[in-house]
Amino acid sequence: MKFIRNFMDKIEPDKKDSPFLHTLWDGFDTFLYVPAHVTKSGTHIKDGMDLKRTMIHVVLAMQLAFIIGMYNIGHQHYFALGLFPDFFAGFWEKLLYGVLQYLPMLIVVHVVGLGIEFIFATKKGHAIEEGFLVSAFLIPLVMPPAIPLWIVALATAFSVVIAKEAFGGTGMNIFNVALIARVFVFFAFPAEISGDEIWVSPDYSWLHQGFSGIASLFGSNDFFSMNAAAVAVDGYTGATPLSLAAKGGWENVQAYTVSIADQTYQPYSVSNLLLGNVPGSVGEGSKIAIILGALFLAVTRIGSWRIMLSMVLGAAFMSIVLNIISVQYGAELTNPFISVPWYYQFLMGSVFFAMAFMATDPVTASGTSTGKWVYGFLIGVVGIIIRVLNPAYPEGWMLAILLLNVFAPLIDHVVLQQNIKRRLRRVKV
Amino acid sequence: MSDLINIFVKAAFVENMVLIYFLGMCSYLAVSKTIKTAVGLGAAVIFVLAITAPVNWIIRETLLVEGALSWISPALADQSFEFLGLIIYIGVIAAMVQLVEMVIEKFSPALYMSLGIFLPLITVNCAILGGTLFMIAKEYSLAESTVFGIGSGFGFFLAIVALAAIREKIKYSAVPAPLRGLGMAFIITGLMGLAFMGLMGIKL
Repeated sequence: MKFIRNFMDKIEPDKKDSPFLHTLWDGFDTFLYVPAHVTKSGTHIKDGMDLKRTMIHVVLAMQLAFIIGMYNIGHQHYFALGLFPDFFAGFWEKLLYGVLQYLPMLIVVHVVGLGIEFIFATKKGHAIEEGFLVSAFLIPLVMPPAIPLWIVALATAFSVVIAKEAFGGTGMNIFNVALIARVFVFFAFPAEISGDEIWVSPDYSWLHQGFSGIASLFGSNDFFSMNAAAVAVDGYTGATPLSLAAKGGWENVQAYTVSIADQTYQPYSVSNLLLGNVPGSVGEGSKIAIILGALFLAVTRIGSWRIMLSMVLGAAFMSIVLNIISVQYGAELTNPFISVPWYYQFLMGSVFFAMAFMATDPVTASGTSTGKWVYGFLIGVVGIIIRVLNPAYPEGWMLAILLLNVFAPLIDHVVLQQNIKRRLRRVKV
Repeated sequence: MSDLINIFVKAAFVENMVLIYFLGMCSYLAVSKTIKTAVGLGAAVIFVLAITAPVNWIIRETLLVEGALSWISPALADQSFEFLGLIIYIGVIAAMVQLVEMVIEKFSPALYMSLGIFLPLITVNCAILGGTLFMIAKEYSLAESTVFGIGSGFGFFLAIVALAAIREKIKYSAVPAPLRGLGMAFIITGLMGLAFMGLMGIKL
């Protein structure tokens, strides 16, 4: 591998003449090799776990959910056309379709976000911070697959500049960067991301056109199986499990059927919800893959298990309270959502995704151990409250986590003050 | 009872004076540098709102609304004195603030010094007058307006203490020089408002 080192040394730009290029070069160099930067004063290193490796661990943890999510985009596409209704039929076509649908968004987020990151790093005169690597994967995961790319670019720019660089860059932001990007789209372009209904479209992007064109050169005429019978469908609007539950409880979710090509399917059966065979954002889909990712984060101690556990406990607690209310006052209440059994609340929407990758963000969460329990528990409670009791929003985790981001420093402060008080009492005795 | 809880939650979270209506910005931004002073000012605002809302309600119902003074002479039966409302409400608020000021000066001179001019300025804090005017516009009863006053005071308290905690935390961040201080406070307040929008529309 010597030639890579030689190559990198040869193309190193001059630091004074072109600081921007040098920052860029430095960023890629530290990807390939351990940085040569040394601390000048005394150090306290207990592990070689630097920021870059931490971030890569998080990115690794989401890969399974990410791949299944991309595959699912392809599956929903073919499903809407009435082709390969079985989840695993037509595996490669679906995967390729998903990748082609998803790749442009991933590229746009990386180019916009890292571009801003590079400019700020050059201006401030430090090396590129790796924090955006995780955000760049998270932002596409929380966007609906069919969203226009310019909106994604705008949201990324907004969140990186306002929610991160203004606060001083990686590790100093108060609000979760990926969530600010999503909340920006949510309030600025509500039609694109409303969330109570979902647009599944067999329409295919310019990348697919290109691929189909190349394929047709080699004699394959319908690379994406866009045959005449299938194109008859222009796409369909489907209800999400959450909006169904808001209208008629869990029974309504189970009773929902879609009929495509003279076949009737039950899209929101328990197994489909667990596997991730539902239309929606890439990240929220497969509960199993997300839980595996969460376990990985908890075992490597990058995500706090305290936050994950207490968030699940908080959500379960609030759902059980609502269930009790619905049993007690069932007849007087008009909101059927509160009667949904608490364990089914976890199957719908993005509760596990929010738990694994959003709430555990070590920068925006509470820092103290007690604070983490409080923080996670309150996210669970507030998330269920917004989801169930707020008819304006179909899902609550995004806003619940942002709300608790606001209060995380306060929780830490109270915990610290309590600790100081407790220990001072010991001093007097 | 559930009605009162609903009003409290609504006033404190859903229709937060600071983060949804953006009222009372002046002292909110100026006194939120440290948590200690923020707690002091927040408590003062809760107290003033909790007193002024019901007192103003009583004054309005017994003296100002149309026909309230008909017991003096029948000629006043269709006479309304609501045009005097603003002056009287502010007067009541000023009196309450004076009271709070004296109490704080007596019991916590340090807090009195650190709050400085912003303590008497609660008088013209629009969150306080807003509390009274919203209460009138929403046609609350006496109990409801008391709960509303406490609720919106609590909302102000939460907002200012949360902002103070965040500002204490970012004191050590590498915030770009032009944004330090007030600039950052505005950005944080905007993002906090975004987060609080999640609670808008909640029906209990």
